Amino acid sequence: MDEAPAPKRAKIVSEDASKPIENSTGNNMSGFKRDRHGNEKKFNNGPRPAPKPKVAVVRNAYTPMFEQLRDELDAHHDRRDRLGKASRDVTGLSKKIVRTINPDLPPQIQSEVDSRLAEISKLLATMAPDVQGINRYRYSRSLMCLEELAEALTFAHYLKTQTLLKPEELSAFVEDLTRKGAAVLGEKEKDNQDKDKDEPMPDAANVPVPPPSTEQQETTGKDSNNPVETEQQQQQPKLEPLIMSTTIDDYFYGVFDLSGEMMRFATTSTALTGKMAGAEDDERTIVEDMHELGSFFEMLPTKAGDKKQWEKKLDVMRQSVRKVERLGYDRKIRGSERPKGWVPDLTVDQPGEDEE
Amino acid sequence: MATPMIDPALFDQLKDSIEKDSSIRKDLEQIIEELNQNVSYTQGVLTKIHSTPRSKYDALLSQVEGGIKKELETTKRLAEFASQYPYYKYNYKWGRTLQDAIATVLLCAWLGGMGSESKPGEVGRLLTLEEVGEVVRVPVNLKDRDAFHITIEEYLLALISVVEDLSRLAMNSVTLGDTELAVQISGFIKDLHGGFQMLNLKNDILRKRVDSVKYAVKKVEDVVYDLSLRNLIPAKEAQ
Repeated sequence: MDEAPAPKRAKIVSEDASKPIENSTGNNMSGFKRDRHGNEKKFNNGPRPAPKPKVAVVRNAYTPMFEQLRDELDAHHDRRDRLGKASRDVTGLSKKIVRTINPDLPPQIQSEVDSRLAEISKLLATMAPDVQGINRYRYSRSLMCLEELAEALTFAHYLKTQTLLKPEELSAFVEDLTRKGAAVLGEKEKDNQDKDKDEPMPDAANVPVPPPSTEQQETTGKDSNNPVETEQQQQQPKLEPLIMSTTIDDYFYGVFDLSGEMMRFATTSTALTGKMAGAEDDERTIVEDMHELGSFFEMLPTKAGDKKQWEKKLDVMRQSVRKVERLGYDRKIRGSERPKGWVPDLTVDQPGEDEE
Repeated sequence: MATPMIDPALFDQLKDSIEKDSSIRKDLEQIIEELNQNVSYTQGVLTKIHSTPRSKYDALLSQVEGGIKKELETTKRLAEFASQYPYYKYNYKWGRTLQDAIATVLLCAWLGGMGSESKPGEVGRLLTLEEVGEVVRVPVNLKDRDAFHITIEEYLLALISVVEDLSRLAMNSVTLGDTELAVQISGFIKDLHGGFQMLNLKNDILRKRVDSVKYAVKKVEDVVYDLSLRNLIPAKEAQ
């Protein structure tokens, strides 16, 4: 039992090092049940249990009504599942971006970030049709990935400019990503209808129609009995690709998480370079930035809606601020005594939490 | 300090957005609270059905319809207010209350109320989602624009409350000597149960509540069993 974690860890490392970045949901995504030896489970009646044969329902006066409602609900569940899957991928990729840009931003890292962003933009483009109009908030809970993406983007922005990205800039960036993704997908599907099947669209496999942007109609068309809507949706992709919008909540929670990343960055960069990260002129350091960000959120009123989550995030942010100011203090007092590579002991508040 | 990390204007911008959101929520809560009171009054009147013989339904139902009228007035205000904002951002706040309101409308109609010139009320009439929308005068299952409406889930959940109420009524109607009603309820609930079985449910609130339909079926079956054992089922229904 003890051996289990070791290979897993090794695998993660090797995966990080390998250049070609693969989307975590390749084609082998569709799962099958395994027996306890890890082999595919065989079922008596075929490779997988056929979905339960629908009980022959004795039809009654209400059957048609329920049939209609069932179809509507199914469309809703499908959309939610699709978004959930894509969202997990975007989350994974965003987290990888954050891990990557953590040190500085040398060219090779920038290029890795770019390639991950390209993956993300394709995913966002596939998600966009499901979250138009009224459906944007309907599936907010399935779109947690946008927080992670906001975290990655605000962090990258901070590293480059030492300023905080604004909500409208974030929206514009994400919209832009979606547009690019839609363009790439459109082209890709035009060139090669059959080869290159490892595109990161797990759902596309279920959608048999390959021509560009019809997928968007597929998804929306399924649940529209309303001819007006279908028509509208069919025309839209041609004029302007559907975009993924971000909400103010995505921004807020992304920035909360940004504080944690800044703390990690401050810690590692101080350890590596022996000086506090900051602007070129060294007039302003990350300690001050953390204080500024901390006060910023302390002064904001608590956002109604999900007070608990807000307060939890605020608390985590407070801890990050404390850690960085402790770091600043340590460096001020005895920074010069420390050799390069010395990692400050930040375990006072949270023993064992700081293992890097 | 050279340039600050955070643009000073950003704070006011975000503060405004949070404050605006809070005030929307407050206003919503006020309307929803009012609707809650309308609904619980109407529900209260409807509980009298369990001790009212069918001959006196008319008087009772007109009282119920009075309560429903108030519900609809408040719902209209809610709809107007809520339609200014993204529907699904706030709809969890009123979902429960609106369900209860829909349930009163459905039950009242099933008992023979809510009649109109074109469609007179009769016992056993189930309003469809669309018909409920007509009564409440709001759109249903809206997809092409973002505004207040009644969702499928809300309708189904309301329907389940009605089923529970009717299963109780089946028993009480026997006590009042109205075995015919009990048998009719039994047929209705079984039909609905068949309908609910057709839904592909995910692990959500709807699945939990749909489970209770089974118990309602069992309850009415027990009543019908007791009746048939004693040959109390009216002749035409028995065939």
